[in-house]
Amino acid sequence: MASKSTPSTSSRPNFTGVNAAFKDKGKPMELRLSNMVAAKAISDAVRTSLGPRGMDKMIQTSKGEVIVTNDGATILKSIQALHPAAKMLVDLSAAQDVEAGDGTTSVVVLAGSLLGAAEKMLEKGIHPTIVAESFLRASAKAVEYLEEISTPIVSQYSSTLAPIAVDAVSRLVTPTSSNVDLRDVRIVKKVGGTIEDTELVEGVVLNQTCVAAAGGPTRMEKAKIAIIQFQLSAPKPDMDNTVVINDYRQMDKVIKEGRQYLLNLCKKIKKANCNVLLIQKSILRDAVDEIALNFLKRLNIVVVKDVERDEINFLSKSLGCKPIADIDAFTEDKLGYADLLEEREDNDVKVVRITGIKNRGRTVSILAMGSNSLVVEETERSLHDALCVVRCLVKKRALIGGGGAPEIHVSRLLSQHAQSLKGMEAYCFQAYADALEVIPTTLAENAGLNPIAIVTELRNRHALGERNAGINVRKGLISNILEEEVVQPLLVTTSAIELATETVCLLLKIDDYVQAR
Amino acid sequence: MSMQIFNEQATEEKAENARLASFVGALALGDLVKSTLGPKGMNKILQSGSTGEINVTNDGATILKAIQLDNAAAKILVNISKVQDDEVGDGTTSVTVLSAELLREAERLINRKIHPQTIVDGYRIASRAALKALEEAAVDNRSNEEKFREDLFNIARTTLSSKVLSQDKEYFANLAVDAVLRLKGSVDLEHIQIIKKVGGKLTDSYLDEGFILDKSIAVNSPKRLENAKIMIANTSMDTDKIKIFGARLKVDGTGKLAELERAEREKMKEKVDAIAAHGINCFVNRQLIYNYPESLLAEKGIMVIEHADFEGVERLSLVTGGEIASTFERPDLVKLGKCEVIEEIMIGEDTLIKFSGVAAGEACTVVLRGSTNQMIDEAERSLHDALSVLSQTVKETRTVLGGGCAEMLMSCAVEEAARNVQGKKALAVESFARALRQIPTILADNAGLDSSDLVAQLRAAHFSGKKDGGLDMDQGTIGNMRELGVTESFKLKSQVVSSATEASEMIIRVDNILRAAPRRREGA
Repeated sequence: MASKSTPSTSSRPNFTGVNAAFKDKGKPMELRLSNMVAAKAISDAVRTSLGPRGMDKMIQTSKGEVIVTNDGATILKSIQALHPAAKMLVDLSAAQDVEAGDGTTSVVVLAGSLLGAAEKMLEKGIHPTIVAESFLRASAKAVEYLEEISTPIVSQYSSTLAPIAVDAVSRLVTPTSSNVDLRDVRIVKKVGGTIEDTELVEGVVLNQTCVAAAGGPTRMEKAKIAIIQFQLSAPKPDMDNTVVINDYRQMDKVIKEGRQYLLNLCKKIKKANCNVLLIQKSILRDAVDEIALNFLKRLNIVVVKDVERDEINFLSKSLGCKPIADIDAFTEDKLGYADLLEEREDNDVKVVRITGIKNRGRTVSILAMGSNSLVVEETERSLHDALCVVRCLVKKRALIGGGGAPEIHVSRLLSQHAQSLKGMEAYCFQAYADALEVIPTTLAENAGLNPIAIVTELRNRHALGERNAGINVRKGLISNILEEEVVQPLLVTTSAIELATETVCLLLKIDDYVQAR
Repeated sequence: MSMQIFNEQATEEKAENARLASFVGALALGDLVKSTLGPKGMNKILQSGSTGEINVTNDGATILKAIQLDNAAAKILVNISKVQDDEVGDGTTSVTVLSAELLREAERLINRKIHPQTIVDGYRIASRAALKALEEAAVDNRSNEEKFREDLFNIARTTLSSKVLSQDKEYFANLAVDAVLRLKGSVDLEHIQIIKKVGGKLTDSYLDEGFILDKSIAVNSPKRLENAKIMIANTSMDTDKIKIFGARLKVDGTGKLAELERAEREKMKEKVDAIAAHGINCFVNRQLIYNYPESLLAEKGIMVIEHADFEGVERLSLVTGGEIASTFERPDLVKLGKCEVIEEIMIGEDTLIKFSGVAAGEACTVVLRGSTNQMIDEAERSLHDALSVLSQTVKETRTVLGGGCAEMLMSCAVEEAARNVQGKKALAVESFARALRQIPTILADNAGLDSSDLVAQLRAAHFSGKKDGGLDMDQGTIGNMRELGVTESFKLKSQVVSSATEASEMIIRVDNILRAAPRRREGA
């Protein structure tokens, strides 16, 4: 960082010297520089985690929790950036997360590099708005070039992407859909086993385990599943109430009536042929109490409690059943059917799976495993990214190569284009093109390769017409990236370029910093 | 000998000092927002002192509203920019800059020992001449629908070109014109709803007819509904409780408790039946809806939307034409809302509910997308400015030219008028013309162009009869504004001139600033 900021400070007098129009504008320039320094600091912070050989960061949150991740969005979310410009970069990575789900690191690295380029332009005395406008035009051009080299997606590519994510998303997709709601993919996290145990489950995996306190059953074939939103515990009206007991006999009566009440509920449930109960959590009173559990055990009904309200939607959709809010509405047609519900112990973790569901909705469950919670969390994040990437393909059905190939390609075409332009714009296009090279450079750096040698060779290969040449990080050399099957959705790259440019332009146009109320 | 007249902590600033204080304050404020003027204007970061939230904007009103001031004159300028915002919606920076420039000129005149009242008189004459010239130059295309739309489009484009949306101004100008034309002459911007979602890029924003509610449809309800009859309610759907504190029940057995619970459920069921008796197929409640009534309603095939907070309910009632109900005994008295289709849509990662084909045909929704929160907020402000200018233009259809053209036109007219003014007032009139010329000067400065050269050229062009001349900011030359389509609303320009004049007059007349003693706080 220190080495980066020195050239800018030493050359600062230039700003006022070169262009007379800037004579009295020392303060805006100071501010712009401070913004750039802050933004570049953020981008440097995540830079080393780019690419397959990227490093992980360990983050200790204010609560003392530890997160280990190399997901740019997560790192930035956890950094408590104070500087306004730094905050904008954090937002930028969040926006990329929403839009494409992946490339959250690249977008920030790219923005940092563009800012560096912009700084050089300002040093030349080019007005910031001209820089901003040229950059926006350059980004539009870049996207155009990217679309040219993208290949429309065909299903055979799917084997080259991570199978679980593809399976998951393709199960949700109908040929006509233009978007995928990722909330229909549920990732259930369990600590235990290794990452390899992560699997896509045919059916539903529950976060909860069966209630075994009263020794109830944990396996049920031909399960008839009900989701109930009422409680199996002593009655409690919403009014404040007191039960007045005058003598010993009455106490007996109260207990008996309580049991009778619960028994009636349980019998009604059994009568509807239900043998699996999923009970929604209640904050007002116990969702299910010991006595009721005992009855249910005797009636041979599997009980799962503490189902959150926001899970209900997913569960009822995937099990093909309707939630039941009142015992009188407990009828057989609201139940879901599954061939098997089973609580199994894999690697010391209890997992409830429901398989062979009839009338399944378009939902998917993924069981994520890992040896400790840090690994599981990171697995979940990676899976989420992978899902997003596959979703991108649904949104925009086109693929391009990875490994820095598209960036070099665009950079080369842009600098060619720059030579056909006149005036300041030509400079800015050239600078933009150079800034794009940060992606291959960083990829090479992180892989321990010589960035200059690699990038220049890459440029050379592209100039010789090998448009698909990219960095093969695993082997440490340049090769045809499509043959290596390193591909990514077009949307990830285009949205990274567009979003980064938009943010950089917004930053460039700032000339004052006002403390407000 | 001095005598204490005022309260101990009250202060007084007199004549020269008072004038100096107010000029300094107003000029400082003018200089602060000056750099945001025009298509090449810069943005400012506003950081809240208390929460640390940041805001990036170049909207004059937003900046002025946010800063803390301790200067009476500066506060007056903040006020006029607010008035401008309320009246026209845009030109908030221009009005502040113009009045600051008028004050700068006045300061010079006062240094030359000209009495403030003489300056005020001169400014009056000048502003009258300016407005007259502006009115003569205004063009009215009310009768020609096609041309009028083009005018609107040009105005929107000109307004947006000085905002964050400038890159995509064509796109958003069209969007804004479409939205305003849907209003069919009404100036009620309530009908245009703006929904902000982070993600995507600015051009992913779109205009949609109908109304979008940022809520979700309850489990089990139908997710799509045609020919919806909507009841909008604000009623408690958890339990109907007696609202008396300390009400409690005494029973002597669990069985009775169960009966009570049953009774409560029955009561809820009755309420649901009463609601269903209105013949509705969509029920929107402001408050939350418990599982039980929710499932009852769903069983009856009614779409349930809970928790649609105040704003949502009110807007929904506005656009669907339904009334907000809270009692359900008399179905004949409740007015239901109507719309053709209710469905779930996805924006970014969120699912929202869209009501299309609503009763109020003018209703529409603008969905704004952008890379960061700051970006979207700023885009919303820009769009709002454009929308309010457009809706004002629909009422007052005259237009004038932008790009410094109108200002130069007025400045020339004022200079002409100065020749016929007798006495010292003439100096003030000339100063007014100079102040007006500052606007194109600042525009050019912000773009990094050679302002003195350009403004001199522009002035020469106007005096030689090229009344359409203005600054072409893209080329950095003098161009024909009518051909470039740089158009602004007449109301906006005239409002800028008249309120800037009024505000500066008010400040010039000040010769004494009295500060009341701060109110004593107990224990302080």
